[in-house]
Amino acid sequence: MDKVNFEVLREQIDSLVGSKCEVYDAIGNDDALIIPSERLMDVVALIDQIFDGAHLTTITAQQRAGQLDLIELMYHFYQKFAFTIIVRLQAEAPSIASILSILPGADFYEREVAEMFGVKFTGRTETPPLLLPDDWDQGPPFIRKEVIDE
Amino acid sequence: MSKISIPIGPQHPLLKEPLSMKIDISGEKVLGGSLRLGYVHRGIERLAQKRNYVQTIHLVERVCGICSHIHTTTFCQAVESLLKLEVPPRAQYLRALMCELERIHSHLLWLGILAKHVGLDTIFMHTWHDRELALDVMEEITGGRVLHGANQIGGVRFDLDESHFPMIHANLEKLRSQILGLLDILENEPALIARTKGVAPVSQKTIRQYGVVGPVARASGVDVDMRRDNPLPPYDQLKFSVVTMPDGDAWARTIVRAEEIRESLNLCEMILEDLPDGEVSKRAPRNVPEGEVIIRSEAPRGELFYYLRSDGTDQPARLKIRTPTLAALCLLPVQMSDIQVADIPVVLAGVDLCVACADR
Repeated sequence: MDKVNFEVLREQIDSLVGSKCEVYDAIGNDDALIIPSERLMDVVALIDQIFDGAHLTTITAQQRAGQLDLIELMYHFYQKFAFTIIVRLQAEAPSIASILSILPGADFYEREVAEMFGVKFTGRTETPPLLLPDDWDQGPPFIRKEVIDE
Repeated sequence: MSKISIPIGPQHPLLKEPLSMKIDISGEKVLGGSLRLGYVHRGIERLAQKRNYVQTIHLVERVCGICSHIHTTTFCQAVESLLKLEVPPRAQYLRALMCELERIHSHLLWLGILAKHVGLDTIFMHTWHDRELALDVMEEITGGRVLHGANQIGGVRFDLDESHFPMIHANLEKLRSQILGLLDILENEPALIARTKGVAPVSQKTIRQYGVVGPVARASGVDVDMRRDNPLPPYDQLKFSVVTMPDGDAWARTIVRAEEIRESLNLCEMILEDLPDGEVSKRAPRNVPEGEVIIRSEAPRGELFYYLRSDGTDQPARLKIRTPTLAALCLLPVQMSDIQVADIPVVLAGVDLCVACADR
C-alpha cells in the first residue's frame, strides 16, 4: 500500500475499466482521473481493496459554464496522497450508483448532492434531505447553476 | 422489552446547537439512532457564488464560531494558490499562531462540555476559565474574540509588535501550567475514567469506512494530521508530534485532545521564537485567473477540505467546503448502538459536535 502512487493506481483503474481513462490535471494539489460513470462502483471497490479501506473526503458536484447539460461529480480521496475520481452525468436526468455498500461514510455526501443538484443515487433505499427542509418545494435543486444565475 | 423512540432536539438543554436525533432504546440499552441536520443551514456554498473573493472571506469566517480562523486561512490559501501569490513568511507564521490558539480554545471548550455532561462541573468551570486566556490573546492581537477578521488574500491584517509579546508569553505560560494540572486530573479522576473508559469504542476500520478525521480518528490509532501529512506553510518547518491512542473509546478521545493542547502550546512558543521579520501582506488583484484547486488543512476537529474553482472573474465559480464535523456526525448513529442510555451525553460530546460547521 505504501508504494502505491497515482501512476500505479491509474494503471490499475485503466486495466479494470478496459481502456485508458483521461487524466484531468487542472486541479491544483490533486491528481484526477475521469472514469465512465457506469464503472464508478468497480473503481471505488478497487480503491477500497488496494488501500484496505478507502478514505473518501467528500463528493463535490458542480456544473461548468458552457456545459450546463452536464453535472460533474468529483469523489475526493486521501490515502497518504490526494486524488480525485471524476464522473460526468447528463444534467437532464442525472443518475449514478450509490457507493454506500462499500463506503457507508458516503451517506451524507450523496444526500447533499441529491438535494442540491437533483442527482439520483441508485442502489440505496432513499436519499432523505440532509440540509434542506423536508418540505422543500422551491423549484429545481438548490445549487444548480441555472438556479443561481436566475 | 419493547422499543421506545426518544426524540432529542432540535432544541434541547443537552445540545448547544440545533440538531435533531431520534434514539431507539429498550430499557437502559440504546439500540440505535438517526440524525437530522439543516437547522442552521445558511447556504454558504451557494452564497459564495454571488459574492466576490473579499466578501467570501467574511462569509466563510461565519461557517463556524469556534474555528472561524482556519476557514478563512484555508480559503485564502486556495485563492492565493490560484493567484500564484506567495504570502510573506511572517504572515504564514502569524496565521499558524492563530490556528494553534484556535485549536487550544476549541479543545478546552470541548473538554468543558464533556466534563459538564458527566457531572464534573468544577472541571467545566476551570477549562472554560482557562480558555479565556487563549481568547484574550486572540482578541489582543486581532481585535476579535470569535470572528477575528485576521486574514486577507495575500496575508494577514494584523501584526505583532514588542508590546504584545509579554502578554502572549504570560498567558501561554499560565495555560501550560493549567493544562498540566488538568491532565493530571483527567488521568486520575475516578468518575471521569468510569464514565469514559471503554465507552463507544470505534475501530480503525470503521474510522476509514466513515472517512472520520481529526482527534476522533487519532484516538482510534489512525495516524493522520494534515499539518504533517499535507502541510501548508509554515507547518513544514515546525516540529510537533501527532498524538494517537489505540483504544478508540471516549477516554482516548479525551486524552488525545488534552495532549494536543500541550502540542499546540509548544507550537505557539516555537512560532513566536522563529517569527520572521518583514511585511505581513501582499497586494492581491480582485480578479482570480481561471483554475481550480483543493486545499486540505487541519482544523481543531480534523481535516478541513476546500475546493475552489475560478472562471477568471472576481467571484468563485464553485466553492465546496467539507468540514470535519460532517464526517464525525455520519458515524454518530453507529456509536449510538449498543451503549447505555447514560452514555449518550458522553458519546455526543466525544465527537465534538459543531452543527454550524456541518450545516454550513
